[in-house]
Amino acid sequence: MIPPTREGSATRALALGLLALPFGVFAPFAIWAGIASLRRIHASDGGVSGTASAMTGIAGGLIGLAVVIAGTAYWLLAS
Amino acid sequence: MRRGALIAAGVVVLIVAALTYPGALATSMIVGLTPAPTPSSPAPPGALPWLHVAHPNGGLAFIADDRGRIVLFHGAVPADLLDFGTSNNWSAPAYPIDSAAYAGGQCPAIVAHSHYPPLCQSDIEQMAALGFNSLRLPLSWSLLEPTRGQFSQTYLDRVAQVVDWAKALGIYVIIDMHQNAYSHFVQAAPGSGVDLSANSGAPAWATITDGLPSKELLANQREANPAVVEAFNNFWYNRDGIQAEYIKSIAFLARRFKDESAVAGYSIFNEPQPGWNLPPGFEDLLLFPFYRRVIDAIAGVRDGLPCPTGIYMPSFCGYADLGIHDLRHMFFLEPGLLRQITDFPTHLGLPVSSDPNLVFDIHAYTHGFTIEKLINPSSDPKTATYPWGGYDQTYSLAEREARAIGAALFVSEFGNDPSYDSLLLTNELQEEERHLVGFAFWTWKENGGTNSWGVFDSAGTDAGPLASSGCIRPARERQLARVYPRASADPKLNYHYDSDTGAFGLQARGSSGDAPTLVYIPREVSGAVTVLGAFSDRVVTPNSDGSRLVTVTPSGGVFSIAVAAAPLSLSGCQ
Repeated sequence: MIPPTREGSATRALALGLLALPFGVFAPFAIWAGIASLRRIHASDGGVSGTASAMTGIAGGLIGLAVVIAGTAYWLLAS
Repeated sequence: MRRGALIAAGVVVLIVAALTYPGALATSMIVGLTPAPTPSSPAPPGALPWLHVAHPNGGLAFIADDRGRIVLFHGAVPADLLDFGTSNNWSAPAYPIDSAAYAGGQCPAIVAHSHYPPLCQSDIEQMAALGFNSLRLPLSWSLLEPTRGQFSQTYLDRVAQVVDWAKALGIYVIIDMHQNAYSHFVQAAPGSGVDLSANSGAPAWATITDGLPSKELLANQREANPAVVEAFNNFWYNRDGIQAEYIKSIAFLARRFKDESAVAGYSIFNEPQPGWNLPPGFEDLLLFPFYRRVIDAIAGVRDGLPCPTGIYMPSFCGYADLGIHDLRHMFFLEPGLLRQITDFPTHLGLPVSSDPNLVFDIHAYTHGFTIEKLINPSSDPKTATYPWGGYDQTYSLAEREARAIGAALFVSEFGNDPSYDSLLLTNELQEEERHLVGFAFWTWKENGGTNSWGVFDSAGTDAGPLASSGCIRPARERQLARVYPRASADPKLNYHYDSDTGAFGLQARGSSGDAPTLVYIPREVSGAVTVLGAFSDRVVTPNSDGSRLVTVTPSGGVFSIAVAAAPLSLSGCQ
């Protein structure tokens, strides 16, 4: 049995997702990379791995994006 | 395998989120929703009215007295209690810190190598004569806690002595934990060209530079020094618990002055340099959470979570209640240094503390230390293209920042090369009037030297020292001895003083039963006083120094107070 190869952009999504938490500017890129990676993983029918990394990247990106939106909204409303 | 990896990845995300913006945002939102604590006992009687920060519905918070009136601070910043180094790494305070050396009107002789003369009782009297009702008193951590865990009662008594002098003349004191380029203990190698005579702040044991070289990477920029940057960085990350020690040193002050109404509050950190950190994370994740911890410790509000204090404390970490429970003094919170040199916000303005007595304080050095001047020191303020919003930019944006944090606004430093008084000083004072914000002028006195910025004259020589730094500069006396409202029940009043003519005008709105509006007129201004509109009583009280205090009690509606133009009677250098 051939072990699945790793989906390259899953690792990229993971890194961007973790970066998006302190630096929200990375959030859209993390989400985009994570979704694209998941699509390729599903399309590979088990031939490509990296689901956990891609999902983590998406989660980090979504949290980062939520923080950016909430922080910006707070600034606009409270200032 | 996949499930285990997902759980592990989720845990990593949660940890990183807690340590970074999501954690900071969540903590701030909880703080913002926490009801403001109130003192559990009546205010102890004070020689001066207790001050606090008032929060009007829909309006900007303001510094208020015990009758709810807006209070405008006018004052200066004497740098004389600071512990500077020298170009030779000499490290002992220039002047005695024993209050006995200043008792009974004594004043030590000026030391030649110090940039500043000693701060004596006569200085406070000179401040009062200019109409100042406040002073920002910078202190050095290195003198307060020279040995780790051992606080200097002698230095504390010296601070208390200045507070007593000020109190006797009706002057409030903002106790300022000052620093310049972190510390003068950032050792510089002989011949490195690093001049530590303008460095002050942390004691040697709290200056952790990790062996980075102490040298200026940009000419005459003391902050652009790898050792300085590293020392700051270690402070923000609480390396070896030094930030926790700093909090204890403020607690040492707060215990002494808890019942002292003449102390307006504590300026927690001067010109915070970000270390190796970038905005906005520096302020939102490191600086303002640090402020929250200080307030937790002094006021006992417990806004953050309990954390170990000997290691890095993430933004959600609070600090133990140190048992002082001081809910009456204000905390002056300064944004990061980058904001001060750009006149532009470098943070999100997240809520800092549930303590209502917060003051956001800025340094207004537009065209003096703003970025265009640092890039090109020879740039002319008259033709500078930055800040794009002109002198108003820093004030208008600071109002928004203060509103977001839920704080009042104050200018804890502004000042300039005296040759630009007619431009920079005039514009800054106009903005401060327009935005109803008090100020502290940097600096009170300096020892001689053509680069002196002090209120008093250096006589145009670098030969110094000069007795009492010479005489008062006429332009400074003209501009700083101002007619201004010291207190008013209308926090939206507007006023203007014309220092060329001595004319003054104020319009305010009042209700019957409101506390009177107080307008101070310095000795230099002799114009007649006129009060018009809705008032029930007006009194002009002459003081022994030639100044006057106008007291107008509103009856309901709009009233105005005017001082007619008249030649100023200046006493300065002729």
